[in-house]
Amino acid sequence: MSRPAPAWLAEFQAGFGAVIRTPLDRASGTLTAATAAYDPQLCAEALDGPLSRGRERLAVYNRQYWFRLFTVLQAAFPLTARLMGYWEFNAVAARYLLARPPRGWDIEDISDGFRPYFEDALDESAPALRLTWIECVRIDAAYREVFRAETLPPLRPLESDAAALLTGRLVPLPAFRLVEEHSQLVALRTTLMANALSATVDLPPRLAQPQAWAIVRREGGTERIPLDTREADLLTLLGRHPVAEALAHLESACPAEERADLPQKVRAWLARSIELGFWCSLRRDR
Amino acid sequence: MALSPEQSDSLRRARGLAPEALGIGLRVPHYDYVLDHLPPVDYFEVISENFFGRAPTPRARLERVRAHYPVVLHGVGLNLLGHAPLDDRYLDALARLADAVDAPFVSDHLCWTGAQGVSHHDLLPTPYVPELVELAAERAHEVQRRLGRPFAIENLSSYVEFRSSTLSEWEFYSAVVRESGCWSLLDINNVYVSSHNHGFDADSYLAAIDFSRVLQVHLAGHTREPNGTLVDTHDHPVSDPVWVLYARAWRMGGPFPTLLEWDARIPPLPEVLAELDKAREARQ
Repeated sequence: MSRPAPAWLAEFQAGFGAVIRTPLDRASGTLTAATAAYDPQLCAEALDGPLSRGRERLAVYNRQYWFRLFTVLQAAFPLTARLMGYWEFNAVAARYLLARPPRGWDIEDISDGFRPYFEDALDESAPALRLTWIECVRIDAAYREVFRAETLPPLRPLESDAAALLTGRLVPLPAFRLVEEHSQLVALRTTLMANALSATVDLPPRLAQPQAWAIVRREGGTERIPLDTREADLLTLLGRHPVAEALAHLESACPAEERADLPQKVRAWLARSIELGFWCSLRRDR
Repeated sequence: MALSPEQSDSLRRARGLAPEALGIGLRVPHYDYVLDHLPPVDYFEVISENFFGRAPTPRARLERVRAHYPVVLHGVGLNLLGHAPLDDRYLDALARLADAVDAPFVSDHLCWTGAQGVSHHDLLPTPYVPELVELAAERAHEVQRRLGRPFAIENLSSYVEFRSSTLSEWEFYSAVVRESGCWSLLDINNVYVSSHNHGFDADSYLAAIDFSRVLQVHLAGHTREPNGTLVDTHDHPVSDPVWVLYARAWRMGGPFPTLLEWDARIPPLPEVLAELDKAREARQ
């Protein structure tokens, strides 16, 4: 294999890398390169050019690094970025990228840890708004996870599987996620994806009741399917417990006035979930 | 440029494309149009790393395109001039992808992209010194051997030069191509951008190119910053001076397969195809 690289190259690249990752300054109301913070040794190595001084020439790379990564995160979390506004979104994104600089070959991988970071980073002084941002980032993350998920065929149970359905455990399709919204965020996200304009959008009005959605990828693209709130509860429980246990949990959490109809509804929801291909297998635990 | 019969034959086999082939860098907004209309494009080029991940949709789309067109691979993450050794897992993934699409050739840039475990997702210059010619040439040779297919090295667009350089950019680039036994991917826009930013003569650059080693030429647009610096953004049509330089390169070393890159503010495909038509005109 190749000879080792010279030692000076490590030092040079460490210095250049630090310059590139220098946070952009927000004080002026636009993102500008903080060239005074650059490593003086690297600046001495950078020649002045016909158009700008050495530090300014390094700043091109500094700005490119941040704007390129902001763009990737904005594209991966379009609902969150557009509702929050790019200025505020980029502030969280910058802190995230400082804490977790990119390490993989695929630039899209920088989005992998963003949702939990974003949720932890939110200001707790405005709880209602905080919950909205959490819903936004979870909806964006759900779409992203569904897009990247492994392709598996949906479960099509046979009659002989009937007995195992009660004791077994339904395994969700990798390209399936559940989300909940308190304002029409899922529909808004679809509109935003079809609209290349980058302006900040207003928060949609709050719904009278929360709405649950199944997000599922199929051959022709990603679909969103509206769910009854209790139906979403059932699907969540089925993803965590064997079927019989999930049903027991659902029943115990169900208000008394809804219990009479519950068995019939559960049968219909269960059949629908299989028909819509939300599961990929039935695991027989025992 | 008159090539010997041996050079012509070697070049033809390495390219695996018609000498006048015109291609487009395939990007997400264009997949549906391409698959619905099968436009008259000789070949497509894709960014290798976009297909290393686990998301199945990009790979499935690529396979559908590949059923109709030759596909060449263009990387942005090899880190040829990184201090760290070449990444075996990266090379394995690249080789698997190249085999899967039966790429006529594979390319990446003469640059570094990451250090100390951090990937900057940018194409970064180093000082241009003989010590790094040897390093890059040896590594590029190894990449070509591992891939088992022609590997082309692309010249960089750059925004800074370093005091410790002892070679010009074109001397450095030409030496790496020559000593590696690999091939050249000559980006005409990059030549123009660097010549403008650093104040050198683009013709001197072209004069140093051994066109018998040029597998492909790239064209793209750039952006002018307020202080006049040109940035290789691939978000505009190709500029007039770049077309002039392309025509000059064609006279010096054509024919060669050409590819148009458009990576941001991407217009509908018919607009990109119209831009590609300008390459035909520039060759007259």
